[in-house]
Amino acid sequence: MADPSKTDDSERIFSELLSPSELFAARSRSRKLPVRGQKDFYPSGCTQQKQRLQNSLDEHWELVSEERVERLGNLVRGIWNPSDQIVELQSPAGKFWQTMGFSVDGKQCLQPEEALYLMECGNLQVFHRDLPLSIQEGYETFLSSSQLSLQQYQVFGHLKRLGYVVSRFHASSVPSLYERQLNLPPSRDRGANQLKRKRSPSPEATATVASSPRPSEKQEDSTNPSSAQDKATNHSEPSAAQQPIPEGRRPPADDDVTGRNWWSDGLVPPEQQQDGGPSHGGPTSRWDFLSIQFPDLGARDTPGPLAPPDPALLPGAMAVGVCSVSSWLRRLNTWREKQPGGKQRRRREEEEERARRRTGPDREVQGCRSWAEYRRIMERRRKGSRRSDSKPAHLWEKDVTPLHDPRQGTSTAELLEKISVVKPSRWADKSCSVEAVGTWQISFDVHQPAVNTEFRKSSPGMPYSRMCVCSFDGPVPALGELQHVSQQSGDVPVTMAVVDHGDISFYTFKHFLLPCDLPQ
Amino acid sequence: MTEAAFLAPRRRATVYEAYEAPFPVPRSDAEAMRCRESVYRADLVNQQVLVRDPAHIELLYGQGYFGKGILSRARPDYSLSDRWQEFEGRQIPVISKARYEQLLSWRRDYLLSKGMDEEAVNQILVRLSEPIEPAAESEEAGLAQTEDSSQKKRKRSSSTDEQRRIGNTGNQDRQHTDPAPRTGSSPVDDSSPMADSSPMADSSPVADSSPVADSVLDSAPGTDSAPEYVLVEGDSDEEEGGSEVNQGGVRRLPFSTTEVLQLTLEEAFFLVYALGCLSVHHNQKPLSISELWGRFRGVQPGFESSYAAYHYYRSRAWVPKPGAKYGAHFMLYRKGPPFYHASYSVVVEQVRSSGASLRPFTWRSLAALSRITANVSKELMMCYIIYPADLSEAELTSPLSLHRLTVQEVVIKRWISSRERAELDDI
Repeated sequence: MADPSKTDDSERIFSELLSPSELFAARSRSRKLPVRGQKDFYPSGCTQQKQRLQNSLDEHWELVSEERVERLGNLVRGIWNPSDQIVELQSPAGKFWQTMGFSVDGKQCLQPEEALYLMECGNLQVFHRDLPLSIQEGYETFLSSSQLSLQQYQVFGHLKRLGYVVSRFHASSVPSLYERQLNLPPSRDRGANQLKRKRSPSPEATATVASSPRPSEKQEDSTNPSSAQDKATNHSEPSAAQQPIPEGRRPPADDDVTGRNWWSDGLVPPEQQQDGGPSHGGPTSRWDFLSIQFPDLGARDTPGPLAPPDPALLPGAMAVGVCSVSSWLRRLNTWREKQPGGKQRRRREEEEERARRRTGPDREVQGCRSWAEYRRIMERRRKGSRRSDSKPAHLWEKDVTPLHDPRQGTSTAELLEKISVVKPSRWADKSCSVEAVGTWQISFDVHQPAVNTEFRKSSPGMPYSRMCVCSFDGPVPALGELQHVSQQSGDVPVTMAVVDHGDISFYTFKHFLLPCDLPQ
Repeated sequence: MTEAAFLAPRRRATVYEAYEAPFPVPRSDAEAMRCRESVYRADLVNQQVLVRDPAHIELLYGQGYFGKGILSRARPDYSLSDRWQEFEGRQIPVISKARYEQLLSWRRDYLLSKGMDEEAVNQILVRLSEPIEPAAESEEAGLAQTEDSSQKKRKRSSSTDEQRRIGNTGNQDRQHTDPAPRTGSSPVDDSSPMADSSPMADSSPVADSSPVADSVLDSAPGTDSAPEYVLVEGDSDEEEGGSEVNQGGVRRLPFSTTEVLQLTLEEAFFLVYALGCLSVHHNQKPLSISELWGRFRGVQPGFESSYAAYHYYRSRAWVPKPGAKYGAHFMLYRKGPPFYHASYSVVVEQVRSSGASLRPFTWRSLAALSRITANVSKELMMCYIIYPADLSEAELTSPLSLHRLTVQEVVIKRWISSRERAELDDI
């Protein structure tokens, strides 16, 4: 590399293989980093300070210009494939294979950012047209594509050096709402998926997968004993699901374009469903609901004790005897027993008792006989305690009136309810149109460091976070863009990585609903 | 994007106050019958909303923490001095000589600004700063004492605490004849309470309601006919009357200042519109809600958004206070500033098809704000006010357009990659 002290390049023969003395020198050079001393805040102009500055600058220069020495046998060979923008490994991968890379057709491959990172670490040597790439060439070649920018690579490198497992984000790996409802296991071998992306996503693939679990769960539902009114729905669902299964297999072979038509073919016309249960075939139900009788305990002529049920229907070795209904009958039709002493007097006493309890210890209120009297009493009291306080006309007579009248006492909860005029919106509501969301794309999935957690490339699990890379000089995302990005990500939180010429800051934007703080 | 977790607010170490009520409105019918006035009064003066009546100030701040006293840090508890002493059955403040001189100089400036010449001003000041003898005091005020001594004493005892707290030394209806016969000046004829005059000599439009009375000597601005007394500490330690002018003694208060509660525009509109318990007057004329909305929108651009945010937080029973100290629009307190530290600092942003953002952010300014907020242990919250696309400018002239706005809150936090690695915290 550039060595400022050696100006005469022609004399020095640049050789990659080191002589024994050079190797020894390289092996035994000091591994210590230069120590950072205390900061000086302003130039004082004295020679000591200048000397110190010069010393530290020289140390830094030496460090940066150090040649990296690596054993040839340690380097993994890779070949750059510009058409697919990946690096194919020629020799077996080392320890990094646990968290990086993917397999395609039996060959081990790396993404460009992973390759560049490994090159910088000194583990990989990439060849292009039979010549090894230098770091500078690596930067130029790998980062020139539209898929990977320098800023994204800087974020990638930063996180990898801290130990996180960083992989590329694929939008298809985020389960859609429909898939989440079905609870499918996550698909494997994501690396292969991206190469086969040429094929359009087929609706039949998801549809055929979808149809098979549905009838099976419906069958389980229908085998449970249910009352008579569920009969119609129970029969309609299995039948509707059964019919599309044989028919659904046909359209994928026939037409790709109109893959969605088979739903309408599969719908059973309603009149077929009302035919009664057994006509539809075996696996639907073993129950003949028409013949199940329920005893009518409220009937005038009291039925006798209930017969025990058919032992074939009972689970296991359960034996149920005759059921006596007399205790149930006793609980029906319980009129209140008549009190002695005449109905009128009793009723009057009861009412007085209740009235006394309602009105409380206020003697005056107890003494009043009608609502009008009560109101007069209250009015008198109110007038006595304070002067008349009429509604201010300038507030109440105009077109816009206040939300609350302070002359009435209202509890805090009710008052808060009344004044809740500005409502919170839900995060899922798209509040505004999305214009320029091309700039806000999720780049990477980040998983926790592999040392502590079990990490399997085939099933990495939910990522810790997803990174969206942007530049420090760029704009801050607005609400619509935040919502778009979070929708892309699904359930995983998104972190904004802001790159400022190598310095990276991370910010998270999370939606929130302030809880209501009701005082006691 | 996952939802941000809610962290409980931190309680303050010592709490000196008791929590009264969330809003200055009665919470039950019994309370409603007990309170005398349900509507408080404020004045719109120079684009500021001021509440002058000390009882109203007390209620508005005590229940809901609305506003700020202009002479105090937060709660309007300005008083002339911390130390009080007994004099003739009442408490008078004790001030230092330097402070007394300062008050005298303010009085002098005030009199000069009224257009009087130096000669007359000096004479007045000399007469004003004569020491008051307790014995002489009782003899000339004997008549007055017999008339309303009982009345005075009752009022005094009940309002001493209030007086001390608010420091409003003059707004009471005490008819106390001053030592006018003694000094020979014209008798006091301004028995009308000059409750509306604010003492700040520079803000003359404030004192637009009533002019200063003729008897300039005895009626210091801010007081009615009753001059207040102060005990001036002299250089020596003699504190009671009978000493010379240059030393301590009881003197008349030359200049008094009244505490006034200032409400922000959002607070004032909330009290008027949502609670209906305030009425704002401009030039003695009460303003209706629509007029108030129009005026406020004219004074403060973006008022409808910041008011919508304020209203939303109040309706969730949090107390928003102005957050200029931390570079935000509001600071959210739970229950009130004396009880908990503020949990959130809120920046209001509007999401509209037209109209620029209230506070355009760059990553640099967002980073700066995030750092400040983290340093004071708060969380930065963006409050987006979402305007429906079909809300026209004409509809916004009425406050009823508030019903159509919705609010979305987003919490911004800085994630530190290296620390997370070490602690394995959740994002």
